[in-house]
Amino acid sequence: MTAMTLHRPRLKARRLTDILSHGYIWFCLVLFVLPFVALLTQSLGERGGTSGIDNYADVFGSFGDNLLWSFKISGLALLVDLAVCLPAAYALVRYPVPGKRVIFSLLQLPLYVPGAVIGLSLLMTYTFVYPIEFMWGLVLAMSVGSFPLMLTPIVVALKDLPLVFEEAAECLGATKWQAYRKIVFPLIGPGVSAGLLLCFIIVFNEYLVTLFVAPPDLETAPLRVFNLVRTNGLAPSTAALAVTMQLISFVAVLAFFRLFGTRHFKGTYIL
Amino acid sequence: MATDSGSLTSSVRALAPELRRRQRADRFRTAMFLAPAALLAILFLYSPLAFIVHMSFTIGSSFLSPAGPQYTVDNYGLMLDQYLPNLLVTIQLATLAMLVDLVFGVPFAYLLVRKVRYRDVVRAVMVFPMFGALYVAFGLSFALLPGGLLDPVLRLLGIPNTALLFSLPAVVFAMSIFTFPFMVMNVGTALSNVDPTLEEAAACLGARPWQTATRVILPLTRAGIVAGALMVFGWSIGTFAEPLLLGSLNEQRSLAWTVYQNAVVENDYGIASAMGIVLLALAFVVTYFSLRYSRGALVE
Amino acid sequence: MAIVHLVSVSKRYGATVAVEDFSLDIADGEFVTLLGPSGCGKTTTLRIVAGLVEPTSGRIRFDDQDVTDLPPRKRNIGFVFQTPALFPHLSVADNIGFGLSVKKARKDQIAARVDEMLTMVGLSGYGARLPAQLSGGQQQRIALARVLATDPRVLLFDEPLSALDKNLRDSLKYSILDLQRRTRKTAIYVTHDQSEAFAISDRIVVMNAGHAEQIGTQTDIYLHPQTPFVAEFIGANNGLPGKVTGTDGSGDDERSVVSAGGLTLRARPRAGVGPGDEVLVYLRPENLVVLPDGDGAGYDNVVDGTIERVIFEGPTAQLRVDVAGRELRVDVSGGRRLELIQRHGRVRLGFNDLTLIPVTAAAAPPPTS
Repeated sequence: MTAMTLHRPRLKARRLTDILSHGYIWFCLVLFVLPFVALLTQSLGERGGTSGIDNYADVFGSFGDNLLWSFKISGLALLVDLAVCLPAAYALVRYPVPGKRVIFSLLQLPLYVPGAVIGLSLLMTYTFVYPIEFMWGLVLAMSVGSFPLMLTPIVVALKDLPLVFEEAAECLGATKWQAYRKIVFPLIGPGVSAGLLLCFIIVFNEYLVTLFVAPPDLETAPLRVFNLVRTNGLAPSTAALAVTMQLISFVAVLAFFRLFGTRHFKGTYIL
Repeated sequence: MATDSGSLTSSVRALAPELRRRQRADRFRTAMFLAPAALLAILFLYSPLAFIVHMSFTIGSSFLSPAGPQYTVDNYGLMLDQYLPNLLVTIQLATLAMLVDLVFGVPFAYLLVRKVRYRDVVRAVMVFPMFGALYVAFGLSFALLPGGLLDPVLRLLGIPNTALLFSLPAVVFAMSIFTFPFMVMNVGTALSNVDPTLEEAAACLGARPWQTATRVILPLTRAGIVAGALMVFGWSIGTFAEPLLLGSLNEQRSLAWTVYQNAVVENDYGIASAMGIVLLALAFVVTYFSLRYSRGALVE
Repeated sequence: MAIVHLVSVSKRYGATVAVEDFSLDIADGEFVTLLGPSGCGKTTTLRIVAGLVEPTSGRIRFDDQDVTDLPPRKRNIGFVFQTPALFPHLSVADNIGFGLSVKKARKDQIAARVDEMLTMVGLSGYGARLPAQLSGGQQQRIALARVLATDPRVLLFDEPLSALDKNLRDSLKYSILDLQRRTRKTAIYVTHDQSEAFAISDRIVVMNAGHAEQIGTQTDIYLHPQTPFVAEFIGANNGLPGKVTGTDGSGDDERSVVSAGGLTLRARPRAGVGPGDEVLVYLRPENLVVLPDGDGAGYDNVVDGTIERVIFEGPTAQLRVDVAGRELRVDVSGGRRLELIQRHGRVRLGFNDLTLIPVTAAAAPPPTS
């Protein structure tokens, strides 16, 4: 009897810790989605006789052009990222590169240069040093800012792939290229996809560098949102556009989680 | 096992150039593999950065004039005379965001790694801030409006909501939501490398939870915590949308926004570049230490 | 299928020497094992033969072809790794057919060969599975089928059984030997496990610190170790430093008299070892016989000692006997072990077969066991 009565408060304390812990996690999670939910309710709210759905009219109207630009720019930037990162990651992991750490850090650095500085420096460069066709200027600006996000998951995936698979393929008569195409690439596929997803999220929602380097006749979707916020203030129709952008991004994330799981983000900022 | 020693030495000698040729080929291949990434980084990041360093020593928009640029160091002097408050506000905002993330992020990361089984849900929700500071700031300003989502909460706490919209706390709040995942990533990675049995061992040796935290967990994850804090600071230095949408005139003096104003609106490239360089230098110093603490090990 | 020559092969990594001036000729169809402790260079040697590692100097020849500068894919070898290394995204059949498919063989040819190989390793019907659906032993058998499918000139094994548990190891090592005998392929097998090496090899190369200590058959290596390293690495041995003081007897009865650790021992003379030479004397624990008191007839050497410790190991019992201040290990098997484990105190030991190894052969330090 005494043993039981002694146990009770202890169990209660443990239960309390559990409730507090999970409560804290959920409190933070609510804060993370709070801006999104605020935008969502605002965009669906009825104001001045217009129904919430009307706010989304623009999404299917002129905003479509902006979205198209965004998809186009993102797609091209992702292709550049892939072309740049696949060989670089392979060399960094598989070949004896002198000063590996330094090279890797130099290739990671674009992530940490403030967007306004990238934007300013590219604006100056495009204006005064090398004239570049503006859409490509924007694509390459997006690539340089995002490729480290692709490099990291590929490097991790390659490091986790034992060398023995490539050696086995070579001993069985495969050329380096065959070994890469038939063995390495399929096996690091999820890592590559993780990189693609991260880059997509960043490039698709990028407005700051775009603000500096986009030509006047090219307005991507996030830039449109930014411009509308500055000119129109807190308009529900702008909220609808922001909600659309985040939903597209979120669907991409969920689709990836379903397909590949989450472990391929090791070393990137999704835990 | 008898081998002709004559042919042996000749084969050894014959090998040397072959080996050297192959080493050269290997080096060439490695260089070719790294070249695209290096080219991209050099042409579209490093040389533009070098260019604005150059630019920051010219007067105003003299680059545009047919007479050619005029050189000066005045931009940096101006930086100190006129724009010091902008720099200080930027540092203040970044510091506050970092502190908020530290206080809330470290326990969050610990609970996430040790207690949470529904981690995929957390991951999915945590990507929302990643979509961009623009949406975070925009959404928060809606939430802080009278009648907004946070209105009842604020009323409960007795805070007039006019006090929050366009204020320093609102900006810091938005910034810390945006950078929270970086903090959690760094601390969480460090924590997941700490064997949970160490905590059990400490507990079995009679340590209280608080003692376990301060004597076992914190020392073992210090590198991750420092790296996370520095990374948050480095990212916050470039804050742009948050002060613009949520801040008062004081917060709107943040450097990134001032750079944009000077470069695009005023066309004063010299001072804009000088500011960009200061911003860059600040971010690089912080990032250098952050990377030293955390991730360079990825390729080793 | 091929005669393999390693001609004075060396491999250095900076200042570290992995393999030093290693030469070996392997006959067609011969099964040679490289045996040694970890870090002795045996795996590096094997990888040099495969072309996965470039030698710093030396040549590799298959028959009359110098393959030193050829990449692995042009050497036509079969390499079985420590892990099965089956490609996880390909089915068992696609794994086995991989070598043929990269050489652009016809689909029906590949399918036929895959079936043949699956039958050969006793796993027909498993072709559609993924590697993850097989047990460790099955995976290693598929790995074997995968290399045999390409009809390689040489089979190379890098500790293929070390990741498996003991029972599986025992059955699989005979399967490997069996397949090698049936296909009559030259094989090089790397292991640190003596019982594995003794069970399957035609010849064993004992390696230490990057060079071959001794090359020979199982009996050569066990009964006539040439270096202290081999004497101590293979089986258990009692080693005593000593000095030859003279000879005794003549003809078949000629014995070298050795003074070692306060004992005077008599051993069969060894060529090149004469009076005055420093030697190491080795006595195998199973050659030390516990004598009923007083009876020393038929033994060259009889010593007295005290039993310090008895370890019952099941089929054998190990006695630790203090002889003149030195501990000797004595292995006893059969019914006598049961009676001896009860016994303590003084005991008399008789023994004949001593091995003398001149100290000059002790260039490389023996491992501390």
